[in-house]
Amino acid sequence: MKALLKIFGSIRLTVTLLALSIVLIFFGTLDQVDYGIRHTQEKYFESLFAFWSYPPQWILGELLGDLPLPMPGGYLIGPLLILNLLTAHFLHFRPNWKKSGIVLIHTGVVLLLIGQLVTQLVQEDSYMWLNEGGMSNFLESFHEDELVIIDRTDQLKDDVVSIPTSLLKRPGEIQDLKLPFQIKVRSFFPNSSIVKRADSPQVQSTLINRGLGLDMKIDAREIPVTYQPDERNITSAIIEILSREESIGVWLVSNIFDDRFPAQTFTHAGRDYKIALRYKRRYLPFELTLVDFTHDRYPGTDIPKNYSSKVRLFNSRTGEDRQVLIYMNHPLRYEGLTFYQASFGKDDTASMFQVVRNPGYFIPYLACILTALGLLVQFTISLTAFAVKRSK
Amino acid sequence: MKKYVAIGIVAIALIVALGGFLPVRFDSSYDIEGFARLPILTGGRLKPIDSAARNSLLIVRDKQTFKNQAGEKKSAAEWLLDVTLRPELADTYKVFRIHNPDVIDLLGWQKEKAEQNGFYFSFNDLQPALEEIERQARTVNPEAQLRSPYERQLVKLRQSLILYNKLLHSFRPPGAGVSDLQTEYRTYHARAKQGMKSLADQQANRPFDNTTLRMFLAFAQRYKNLADNAALRIIPPADPALGAAGWQSLGIGLIDSIRTDSLDPAIMSYARMVDAYRAEDPSAFNDALKGLGTQVEERAGEDTGRVNYEYWFNNYQALYRSMVIYVLVFVLASLSWLFWPQTFGRAAFRLLALAFVLHTFGLLSRMYIQGRPPVTNLYSSAVFVGWVAVLSSLLLERLYRNGIGSAVAAMMGFCTLLIAHHLGRGGDTFEMMQAVLDSNFWLATHVVTVTIGYSATFLAGFLAMIFFARGLFTRSLDDGTARSLNRMVYGTVCFALLFSFVGTVLGGIWADQSWGRFWGWDPKENGALMIVLWNALILHARWGGLVRTRGLMLLAIGGNIVTSWSWFGTNMLGVGLHSYGFTDKAFLWLCAFWLSQIIIITAGLLPARYWRSRTALGRV
Repeated sequence: MKALLKIFGSIRLTVTLLALSIVLIFFGTLDQVDYGIRHTQEKYFESLFAFWSYPPQWILGELLGDLPLPMPGGYLIGPLLILNLLTAHFLHFRPNWKKSGIVLIHTGVVLLLIGQLVTQLVQEDSYMWLNEGGMSNFLESFHEDELVIIDRTDQLKDDVVSIPTSLLKRPGEIQDLKLPFQIKVRSFFPNSSIVKRADSPQVQSTLINRGLGLDMKIDAREIPVTYQPDERNITSAIIEILSREESIGVWLVSNIFDDRFPAQTFTHAGRDYKIALRYKRRYLPFELTLVDFTHDRYPGTDIPKNYSSKVRLFNSRTGEDRQVLIYMNHPLRYEGLTFYQASFGKDDTASMFQVVRNPGYFIPYLACILTALGLLVQFTISLTAFAVKRSK
Repeated sequence: MKKYVAIGIVAIALIVALGGFLPVRFDSSYDIEGFARLPILTGGRLKPIDSAARNSLLIVRDKQTFKNQAGEKKSAAEWLLDVTLRPELADTYKVFRIHNPDVIDLLGWQKEKAEQNGFYFSFNDLQPALEEIERQARTVNPEAQLRSPYERQLVKLRQSLILYNKLLHSFRPPGAGVSDLQTEYRTYHARAKQGMKSLADQQANRPFDNTTLRMFLAFAQRYKNLADNAALRIIPPADPALGAAGWQSLGIGLIDSIRTDSLDPAIMSYARMVDAYRAEDPSAFNDALKGLGTQVEERAGEDTGRVNYEYWFNNYQALYRSMVIYVLVFVLASLSWLFWPQTFGRAAFRLLALAFVLHTFGLLSRMYIQGRPPVTNLYSSAVFVGWVAVLSSLLLERLYRNGIGSAVAAMMGFCTLLIAHHLGRGGDTFEMMQAVLDSNFWLATHVVTVTIGYSATFLAGFLAMIFFARGLFTRSLDDGTARSLNRMVYGTVCFALLFSFVGTVLGGIWADQSWGRFWGWDPKENGALMIVLWNALILHARWGGLVRTRGLMLLAIGGNIVTSWSWFGTNMLGVGLHSYGFTDKAFLWLCAFWLSQIIIITAGLLPARYWRSRTALGRV
């Protein structure tokens, strides 16, 4: 036990872990060229082990391409660093003013690591597009999709049942208590291209017998998943609705079928339903309306000087109704969400906000204050010691 | 004897430093300086014509000067004057630099012949191939990062040609037939009203004067063409309060005169200047320029102070001069370890102070001209990294007085300014800031601290290089020197950790304030974090007794690799790492630097018997 404690509290382990984290970050940066930031982050920083493979297009790629280089991932190095630090403190440090800075620095570093872990676990990234004059009360996810069955019988309100795509990947039937029927996933494509059935004879699917897939004679064909930051996967599925083992119909749904396409609807037991696969939405307890979007450039250039969105915020619950301005380095923070100006389009008449929710946002601040304080204390102590030594 | 040598060297340096204060003389009867000083607006920023000409020539020719047909070296302002006012001459100047053999083939030139001209081509040389260049340039890979050297050269050539054409359209409507621009403008102005009336009549299906209308439309077309193609906005705002947004191109000014019903006097003054230059009448040219100068300055408002300063700063070349002196310092400091340590050591320190003053002066001037904190782009980061390194080394030299601080300062000052010089080849180094970076507060805090972190990490690495150079190749690395180097490197690494950590964290806070996220694992962020971790690793290895002097030095050299990756490597991701990008020049230099550091590390690992200074190594 003592020997184990000694290993975990050793500075040798600290140095090793620091070296390993540098290696991890290096390869985690390198891989972003091919896989984009998000995928790389999952692969390297949110995993126990990561494997880097030599890109085949490099020199000697054919020889080295098949040999993956293993390394410990972020979820292994981080906890080990924390363990190492805590053990070392309990083993070696005795209360001593001269070391107070170091304790502060290390507490800060532990908090930074914990803060990053919290962020990676709970942070949600989504976005909202608004046209000038347009209103919205929901956010859309950058990467996730959802299958929704909407009961539209009531004219005044929609009843939405949302099924995450992770459930669609499994075989079997899905039953939701709110729905009087079962959902059977016949096929699921994480990324696909939508093809005319006539042009693509190898698409066997004659399953589709309702909705867009039937009317437009289209089908989905699976293609490799993309990781490019500026591309989104076209997620599609072929869904059968069953009532007591009897088929009501088979639909093709895809997140590319947006508002420009007619809704896919059906009636069952006297109620009207709509079925769709769409970008995962999160409804807000308030709504935003884009009043005006402006985009200035430096005179005589295309270099953007400023983007700015004038937005009306309306919250029916609190009765808040006010104007806010969202521009570069000046986001809107409201109800735990941060809206910042991320993009624009349609000849400067539409604006996109990236929206982040991170309940742990304050942890890094706390960590920074502690560490900065610690560094200050420690360097003052060292400098004074140095000055005293020199003056002697 | 010693004394005279030292005085002589200091005198040379002073001549280098003070030489810039001599007025620039142009070998011309035309008032080139008056022309070069005129303020104009391009790239979103008010600057003297001199800067616009230099930056354009840099893009086209990779240099700020050119040679005319007689082989005389001429200034960029003279080139611009000929491009726009006497294109028949400028078209014969060999200014387009093309070094890619495939593009030279495309032009139908044999390599030997191109080589004779130093790979420079005149517009007339390119004329027959213009269509082919355009056609080929349209087929290049739309992803800039994936382009082959041939495609890059093509795109660059096409951009140079477009720029050349845009400069041509900046001061007068092109066309060989025009000899009297003032008369043309007056005719246009006199007929504009009637022309507008005829146009309105025609559109309302009323009877109209066809001759007047056709003449008017021809003018309008001519000036619209001018407005669409001008690179420079030369007409100052009617009211100085309008600022940068009030500047107009000549074409817009001419079209606008219909609305205001008056010809802007600046347009007429420019026309007088153009006519005089085309008539080869220097005295009339100089006269016109004098009137123009006062006119433009009055209307440009308070910004003219900066413009004049920028003109002077362009000619003084403070950073170039300090670079030359850094070389002298390095030679002196290295000599001081071999003989005359006192004399050479002191002379080196004095010269270093002089070079540092020039370097500081260059840095402050750039801040004044741009109105921004010192680091705004890669170019200015190189200037600043050097400045911080030299300042820190000066302090080290004051503390230790062993010539090491001077030598390292000179090495780093020279290297960083050389890097800056090459980075500056892309054109204007005072670019406008993208909206997202437009925050002086964060530029002054996060960017500056992170850059100081780079600088300190490099400083530790360069100090370590001195340790190995002296230890391996000379007998001068005694115990005392090794010990003081150890302390210098240790102190510098502490300093580096402090700044790189604080800088990285400030970046996180900026990101959280602006985008609601503290950390995004983006390449530049990761690079900064790697520097923090590397410095932390060095310190822990030392505190834990895992390394002693030699190990500390080896790790410090590793810091050079990590920092150069973070500084430049991360910017080349997508360039250097794609299969085609390997030919990218900057990437090759970066690889060469890494290789050199790996060689030093390998050499540093050699057993003591291969070292010339054995005594020191025995104890470290």
